[in-house]
Amino acid sequence: MAATTGQGRSFTTFIVGLTGLCAGIAYFSTGVGKFIAVAGALVVVMSLLAFLRIKPLEGKPAQKAGAGGMKLMGAFVSALGWLLILAGLHVVTGTSGRIVLGLVGIGVSLFGILYILPTAFNKNAIWKS
Amino acid sequence: MEQSIMKMLRRRYLSACILAIGLMIGGLAYAQSSAPASAPAPAAPPPSASAAELKDAAGKAPATADLQKGDPGGTLTGTISDVPAADPKAGVTLPDVANMAGQNKIAINFTWTLVCGFLVMFMQAGFAMVEAGLCRVKNANHTYMMNFFVYGCGLLAYWLIGFAIQMGGAAGNGNLGGLQPLALEHTTTLFGKTWGLFGGSGMFLSGHTYDVGVMVIFLFQMVFMDTALTIVTGACAERWKFLTFAVSSVLMGAFTYPLFANWAWGGGWLAQMGTNIGLGKGYCDFAGSGVVHAVGGLTALAVALIIGPRIGKFNRDGSSNAIIGHDISAVLIGCFILAFGWFGFNPGSTLGASANGNLRIGSIAVNTMLAGCTGTFGALLYMWCLKGKPDASMSGNGLLAGLVAITAPSGFVSPVSSAIIGLIAGVLVCLSCAFIENVLKVDDPVGAISVHGANGLWGVLSVGLFADGTSNYGGSWNGVTGSVTGLFYGDASQLAAQLVGIATLLGFVFTFSFLLNLGLEFFVGHRVSAETEVAGLDLPEMGQLGYPEFVFREESTVFAQAPREFAVA
Repeated sequence: MAATTGQGRSFTTFIVGLTGLCAGIAYFSTGVGKFIAVAGALVVVMSLLAFLRIKPLEGKPAQKAGAGGMKLMGAFVSALGWLLILAGLHVVTGTSGRIVLGLVGIGVSLFGILYILPTAFNKNAIWKS
Repeated sequence: MEQSIMKMLRRRYLSACILAIGLMIGGLAYAQSSAPASAPAPAAPPPSASAAELKDAAGKAPATADLQKGDPGGTLTGTISDVPAADPKAGVTLPDVANMAGQNKIAINFTWTLVCGFLVMFMQAGFAMVEAGLCRVKNANHTYMMNFFVYGCGLLAYWLIGFAIQMGGAAGNGNLGGLQPLALEHTTTLFGKTWGLFGGSGMFLSGHTYDVGVMVIFLFQMVFMDTALTIVTGACAERWKFLTFAVSSVLMGAFTYPLFANWAWGGGWLAQMGTNIGLGKGYCDFAGSGVVHAVGGLTALAVALIIGPRIGKFNRDGSSNAIIGHDISAVLIGCFILAFGWFGFNPGSTLGASANGNLRIGSIAVNTMLAGCTGTFGALLYMWCLKGKPDASMSGNGLLAGLVAITAPSGFVSPVSSAIIGLIAGVLVCLSCAFIENVLKVDDPVGAISVHGANGLWGVLSVGLFADGTSNYGGSWNGVTGSVTGLFYGDASQLAAQLVGIATLLGFVFTFSFLLNLGLEFFVGHRVSAETEVAGLDLPEMGQLGYPEFVFREESTVFAQAPREFAVA
């Protein structure tokens, strides 16, 4: 099916909604600004629903779903490494300690990105079948 | 005996000199302090020497008749006649000259920053050629169009909200006249310190941000942001639905990129680590190895994971097939265009050529050249020695890897360090491509994740190692007095700051991009249908073939003619 007029219209709706939302935020201190922000947000939501509605019309991709929990776990672990450093910076005051802390945090994040997430996505990879 | 006499004479001579200098300084100080008290109050202020000199210079300025004869030597053009006088009757005064000097400084910096921004904008053409050249001919139109339309998507999103988030609180840059309208940074207070989170001024460039300096910084930062966006299109080429690409690019230009860029460049918390908790000069990223390239590369990895490999990339046993691009000439010309544009990227990041240590632009440009050169050597020699051929596409990627890696440290390191950084980047890009393909089983048709992601992180790290403490951009960086100095030159705390930056890129930017695009996978779906993918995206997605007169071969034939040893992996 590929690109369609439906896609074009829903993308136009998305852009119009986002522009309205941003204009509303820019002038949020005024009553009109608040109204435009809410209206813009509603139009963005409408565009997302339009995307969802036309999604099944576009044919089946060469992908298999699955391991959703593991994907979220991978994202959580990758964020965890960063949060560990943020918290640790105020506990560890020495430079050496902070370098070690940084390396540990990066290691945790990389474990999530380079091990958990690829495992999750390759678990049911279509090329395996 | 003679030596001791000589020593004594030298000492006496030195003492006499010191005494004489002391007397001179003392006399001058006395004269200056006593002058106002002893001078009688004049009835009318006499013209100062400088005013008289200005009048004299005005008198000597070339007459109109002289100028009408032409000035082939350029000696008559650009004199005091060109300095505008506030009061034409009084002629040019000292304040007029001072104002002109100030405006000249800002004009030089505006021009420099704008021209460098134009160079960076032209890099989009380079990216388009590299990415399309590395893809198959059946997807050429689609790949070119993604690179074309990402410019519009990014620019619109950045104008709407991205710029305000990134630079809305970035007031205070003396190179561009202060940028005072950008004075709203939303902050939070943690452990007794104030940390910047995101800016707030500059949406739609309206109101008080309708300002000459703001326009210059908007243009320059916008083209940087667009560079980050276009990295993703390469990693997801040949299977990314055009609609999802457009929505994803808009969201990245509006939120993902500006948030991290604010933290690093817009006065946010990463930049404040130096002033707040004493970590070096805070997170230092001169021209964006982290802000631009790692953000682009990590987002590319996030989307490439979600979208999955192209049909035919991996076999059932997990081994990979090399899918050869259709136009190596486009790839290499694109690489040259990118290398040319990088002279806007790195030297332009001084945001000026006049004052505040900006004359370092020469060394920044040379560092950029050198790292690109050694990056090419690193990749080419790696491929030649280990795979038997000086592979063209990997040599191009080596050039880009060197350039990416030197982007963050270019303003802080010596030429020798630049060469080392580039060489490591050239080898790293080959190793990273192999790792991503063989171990992670992630399909990256152009090597964008390795070039921009892996080497972006290496560039950020290298600042913490190689910064030599000789730069002086107005005497401080990120509000901390002194020069940026890395571990090898005595400041380990700068390395710690860089590690926090890397952790933020991995832990925040990657995760944020991943979740955002996972949401788009639910609502829109990233990947085209299998039918479309096999047919090629040009006709189904774009309605037109990139090369309508080409004759396509069967896919299986193409794979068969791509020998295994050509694969980087």
